[in-house]
Amino acid sequence: MKRNLPLLARSACFLTLLCALLLGVSYLFMPKNNHKSFGVSDGELLANGILGEKEHSIDVLVIGDSEAYSSISPMQMWDERGFTSYLCSTPAQPLYDSYRFLRQALGRQSPKVVVLETNAIFRPYKLNDYLLSRAKNLFSVLRYHDRWKALSVNDFGKQLDYTFTDDLKGFRYNPAVAAASTKGYMQPTDHQAAIPALNEACLQDMLALCRDSGAQLLLVSTPSTLNWNRARHNRIAAFAEKNSLTYIDLNTMPDEVPIDWARDTRDRGDHLNYAGAVKVTAFLGQYLQNAYDLPNRRDAAHYHSWNDALDRYRNIIKG
Amino acid sequence: MTSYCSLLYLAVFLPAVVLIHRILPQRLRWAALLAASYAFFWSVSGKLLVFLLLSTVSIHHFGLWLTVEQQSRDNQLASAAPPDRKKIRQRFTRRLRAILLLAVLVQAGTLLTLKYAAFFSTNLNHLLNALRLPVNVPVPSFLLPIGISFYTLQAVSYLTDVYRGAIRADRNLARLMLFLGFFPQIMEGPICRYGQTADQLWAGRPVTWQGLTFGMQRILYGMIKKIVIADRLNLLIKTVFNDYTNFSGGIIALATVCYTCQLYMDFSGTMDVVIGSAEIFGVRLPENFRQPFFSRSISEFWQRWHISLGAWLKDYVFYPLSMSGPLKKLTGAARRRLGNHYGPLISGTVALGVVWLLNGLWHGAGWHYLFFGFYHFVLILAGSLFEPVAQRLTAFLHIDRTCLPYRIFQTVRTALLVCVGELFFRANGLRAGLAMFRTMVTDFSVEPFVNGGFLSLGMDKYDFFITLVAVGLVFAVGLLRERGLSLREAVAQRPLAVRWPVYYAAFLFLVIFGAYGVGYVPVDPIYAAF
Repeated sequence: MKRNLPLLARSACFLTLLCALLLGVSYLFMPKNNHKSFGVSDGELLANGILGEKEHSIDVLVIGDSEAYSSISPMQMWDERGFTSYLCSTPAQPLYDSYRFLRQALGRQSPKVVVLETNAIFRPYKLNDYLLSRAKNLFSVLRYHDRWKALSVNDFGKQLDYTFTDDLKGFRYNPAVAAASTKGYMQPTDHQAAIPALNEACLQDMLALCRDSGAQLLLVSTPSTLNWNRARHNRIAAFAEKNSLTYIDLNTMPDEVPIDWARDTRDRGDHLNYAGAVKVTAFLGQYLQNAYDLPNRRDAAHYHSWNDALDRYRNIIKG
Repeated sequence: MTSYCSLLYLAVFLPAVVLIHRILPQRLRWAALLAASYAFFWSVSGKLLVFLLLSTVSIHHFGLWLTVEQQSRDNQLASAAPPDRKKIRQRFTRRLRAILLLAVLVQAGTLLTLKYAAFFSTNLNHLLNALRLPVNVPVPSFLLPIGISFYTLQAVSYLTDVYRGAIRADRNLARLMLFLGFFPQIMEGPICRYGQTADQLWAGRPVTWQGLTFGMQRILYGMIKKIVIADRLNLLIKTVFNDYTNFSGGIIALATVCYTCQLYMDFSGTMDVVIGSAEIFGVRLPENFRQPFFSRSISEFWQRWHISLGAWLKDYVFYPLSMSGPLKKLTGAARRRLGNHYGPLISGTVALGVVWLLNGLWHGAGWHYLFFGFYHFVLILAGSLFEPVAQRLTAFLHIDRTCLPYRIFQTVRTALLVCVGELFFRANGLRAGLAMFRTMVTDFSVEPFVNGGFLSLGMDKYDFFITLVAVGLVFAVGLLRERGLSLREAVAQRPLAVRWPVYYAAFLFLVIFGAYGVGYVPVDPIYAAF
């Protein structure tokens, strides 16, 4: 051991200095605002809009992939129920990114409920991508390094100041219609689909994060004929039971959420369209308010910006 | 793990192996390297690990068989009367040749079946259709174990060296497994000879501070070449090569130069990572590149580019063919008629043709690879044929062939010829390559460079700028090497206050200017696919 010391000590010293340097450079490269012009990527712009919300103002946080942002409309919930929610969902979101968005959001918000859309749980990813994501969380220069093309004097020493938020609160409005076939959709089976081991570990991390911050994790499967099936349902139901979580599978609730697959999907059953989202949101808003006793803040003075956004949201859906 | 440049390899796998190697006593270090090598292969090719294992066992067996026969021959020769010795030699030579042929057929046959069966059967079907025969052979599809093209050549060199008596067959299966499967080189080479690495790998040299730092520096340099330059250029190359009909000759010429640069930076960069990884464990792998773009002729280029493949083809194809009975007779006859320059060229041409056929085919199952081989064969042959003419011409014109401008002319000419070859190498098939070449020649225009059209192909002005800076750095390092100076040894002699900032600067250069993350598609090492 003694002969190993100099090499180990020198290596440790070199690496410590390197980490310090990377942390310093990371601060320099981190976008100082969450506007696109500050270097936030297109794919993550809307999800990062939560950073521009007033601190500790969000009641429900939704995490997930495109199924989430196609099915759940926070502005509709605000309109009908008066509680605030935000979607931190991105296209094809891997679960390590779900974890990242959850962690980032919980750093500024204290939601009562965290809704995890379950489709991302079955999306496999490589160990290398997971490690890279963790490294990027630690050293943000790895995520924002390409900002070297747009660095300005303001990046040297300017404090973080997030001012952008999305009027639709992460929801993506899409009224297109492309009917789906329901052949084989949710056919009964006792089989359980496998959750990749890395995803399972990531889920446990998310669970711990929610527990630590006092939020309750709710698993929700939004309707999709292409992505969802009974085997996946069975596996998530088993996971929820094992971890004492609540699980709602809207694919098994045609009475509560009467999706018309000829009209309510925009891409043949892959995602819901706006009409489908209205049905899902109406049910989910009611469920969340009843189950978690969420307040109606519509008339609270601090939330006038949400009412302004609601007017703009109505204009958008009116076309 | 699909790349030596992945975080998983560099930040988890390699440090873990270094740590285990460091902790273990010398007599067990080979086991750490062997276990790591098989774990690495499994992580890339999964169950195909069985192929590596069975193949290694068969190579081990064939090697021992050859040695047993050689010992038997030596024993019989020692006890035989002088008149009988010739017959004994002939008998054993035939037997040894048969064993070697069988062994090579097993190895090369596996490669041929897995890699080329689909190509040959597809072309056979085309031929049958052209002849209007109502027959079609099935087109098989196989999973390829990673690095099979490199591994097979290494196996054949081992068996041939045992056959030639250059080395003795290794009785130690574990040592042979390590030689054939050593993880840094299994995916892209270099194609090592048994005598070059087997003992080094087995020796279990300790990880030293110098080995660690030099290895890490080499890895860092390779990563800069791969991630900053090669992967950034991929943005433009992909755009142009996948949609070549929409671009003018100027843009195709730019993409051709960019691809040549990408291929060099990708392959030589990965080789730096490979050689650096081995260096950490005190194993010196042979160099695969020696500043190829400083070459003054195509044949010199191939002595500096993918050196281990060129050397393998020279030692195991070119020389045996040139020295074979029929070609020796041909050389003798031709020398009498055509003189000492052109005479040996005749048989040399036959051997060279086979070498370049194999070179093209080795790179992949496609007509454009065969064309690539044929193109270089023609260039090298033309170089040999016209060398006397060129010498007379330059003498007549009073051109000093050693002066700098002439050497620069030769270097630029060689680089341009190489670029044209790489156009066919990268093109999506021979037809596409020919069409691109035609466009480049007949529709060349500088307009996209004047009106800025070349900046809309996936690389903006910043991308071009940083690529040029990085290429300039690599060029400067190459220039120093050409002059016999080693940059890392020069840096290593400086005090810590100079050394560490240099390393940190290089690391930050990679982190900041690397082409990875949002907006970039990860590019697997190009040669890992061959």
